[in-house]
Amino acid sequence: MESLHPRIRLLWIGQGVITAAVLGAIVVAVDRLLLDVPTTLQWGVIAAVIVIGLVYAIRLYQVWQFEIEPDALYLERGVITFVETAVPFVRVQHVDTQFGPIERALGLSSVVVYTAGSRNADVRIPGLTPDRARELQDTLRELAVESEADDAV
Amino acid sequence: MALQRAITGFTLPFFLVIFLASVVDVVDASWAFVLGVIGLLAGVAYGLAYYYRFEYGITPDTFDVQSGVISRRSREIPYGRIQNVDVARGVVQRLLGLAVVSIETAGGGNTEATLRFVSESEADRLQHQIRRRTAEIKDRQRSRERDTETDQRGESTDATPGSEAPSPDPDPRSEREEHVDPTRVETGYRSRRQRLFDLQSRELLLYSFTTFRPAAIAAVLFVFFLATDTILEYMVTVANPVGGPEDLENGDTGSYGILTVVSMINGLLITYLLSVAYTFATYYDFRLGRVDEDFVYERGLLQRYSGSIPAEKVQSVTVTANPIQRLIGYAGLWIETAGYGPDSSAGSQSAVPFAVRRRVYTFTENLTGVERPKFQKPPTIARRRYLVRYSIVAALFVAVVYGITRISPLEGWYFAAAVFVVVPPAAHLRYVNLGYYVGSDHLVIRRGFWRRRTTVIPYYRIQTLSTRRSIFQRRLGIASLVVDTASSRTFFWATPTIYDVDLEDARDVQGTGRKRLQSALRERARSDDVDISVDFT
Repeated sequence: MESLHPRIRLLWIGQGVITAAVLGAIVVAVDRLLLDVPTTLQWGVIAAVIVIGLVYAIRLYQVWQFEIEPDALYLERGVITFVETAVPFVRVQHVDTQFGPIERALGLSSVVVYTAGSRNADVRIPGLTPDRARELQDTLRELAVESEADDAV
Repeated sequence: MALQRAITGFTLPFFLVIFLASVVDVVDASWAFVLGVIGLLAGVAYGLAYYYRFEYGITPDTFDVQSGVISRRSREIPYGRIQNVDVARGVVQRLLGLAVVSIETAGGGNTEATLRFVSESEADRLQHQIRRRTAEIKDRQRSRERDTETDQRGESTDATPGSEAPSPDPDPRSEREEHVDPTRVETGYRSRRQRLFDLQSRELLLYSFTTFRPAAIAAVLFVFFLATDTILEYMVTVANPVGGPEDLENGDTGSYGILTVVSMINGLLITYLLSVAYTFATYYDFRLGRVDEDFVYERGLLQRYSGSIPAEKVQSVTVTANPIQRLIGYAGLWIETAGYGPDSSAGSQSAVPFAVRRRVYTFTENLTGVERPKFQKPPTIARRRYLVRYSIVAALFVAVVYGITRISPLEGWYFAAAVFVVVPPAAHLRYVNLGYYVGSDHLVIRRGFWRRRTTVIPYYRIQTLSTRRSIFQRRLGIASLVVDTASSRTFFWATPTIYDVDLEDARDVQGTGRKRLQSALRERARSDDVDISVDFT
């Protein structure tokens, strides 16, 4: 099983901090406009969200794993709901590599695997180095072409 | 193929005008006149422009549509990708001899091409032509696969319609036309139509009365918002003779209570009748037939639908029945494809809306070739889980009622605790309706009490398999297995899921599914036949 790049934790922690900031802004707005919220409670909410975000990010990193098996791409992920997904190569429609501005700043990139399915139709593997992402994309594409099925939808 | 554009020229702008005018008329009367004229002119202009800028054509490999007044869009749909072709005829359209043709493919969230205002004969012709050409493409592919059997490896991407490059190679197709059976082109398609199932009036009535459509609630609420005052007045008038208040302002607690109860009964009754009428009108004179390898159906009282479903596009088959229907021993059979259908239940078409359960089971078995399933049950710990879950819901309900009694003059929140009585039966009913069966070629999943669905999924249709465990499930050592197919995602039809089985079992089924998907695909590559039997009755 392959783990993600450790730096992905920074990204997820960053997302937690952003959530905390947004929540903090809402709390402050409530304080100003509707009813008094004690300052300690305000900071408490923000601190709690940051701590939860931190724990969540670290735990998610520990849990996230993927592997290329003979017939399928296999992934394990999820903190609250733990999900083990098998994406058979025959079912891969196309494979993307993507990176957002923050990911780029951290030198990371994601691979997105699309299937024709209705739910979990696109499977995203975040936190890969750009080289690894491209390599994975190529591997998946080759495997998908190799196992091309006759019954495309 | 030549473009046939001899379609009634003025109907398109005409309808646009009616639409625009009706929208505009809602505004103030004096405005409406000016705006109405402007809207009329704009509508006529836009309609004419739309009409003259709308072109479609049947080419050997693709169906092309070019449309758009301001931004042009040209679209080519390869026949091999078309899921189904539907024809709808509304009341006005039927009077004018017009129809709407919709062409669905698997991709995207909506219909790929909609041809409005084509004549009925043209609609039939299109439907027939597209079906024929899709079949041709298939024949061509098969014969080519046979030809290239020896050096299959190199050609394989060529012989199959590539997933991401849908357009077939530009090879001269004239030589391949030879493979096509010429008789198929010449014989009239109506004569080749074979009847599979007709909905009898008895079945239609039973179906209408035993089905409840949530859409009816939305419709009633919508009407209520439109004409709140009138409806309130009506409610008061109805409740008055049985002890309701004189009008909304004057009344005591007792009479208001009666008004509430009477109005609720009234509302439920009206919603129910609306739902019955809707079902009746939708499935009136339902007919299912087959043409070659396609299912074709027709239905509808006011709006007449006809559509075709290629058998090879069928993703999974579902048998549904609600408690009342189970009681009287009836069920319905639905076919799921990857496209979007004209129904609210997009992507799944009713093959047999309603029939005696025995027949439906036989149909399902013939259709998919599945053996009679021997369902396995989830462990009893699952039932405990539902018990806890529903208890929490009940507790929340009581808490909400308590909250309401605190801020309003109402009293007696403890009566709400009566909901706890229904918790154990609810948990049990959910539990007993769960089941799954791992067949030799199919996975059968049953779930749901209010609308029990038994879905038969051939292994070769599986897209992805996921084992999911929430924190609660992890504590109990159980898991849910989500079996994803390419049938469309919908609100009411969740992805088939085997709920709350032992983790080991879930992993086992996941592994089995993966293995059998591979072997089933290999088998299918060897043999040519469609695994869905068209002639299932």
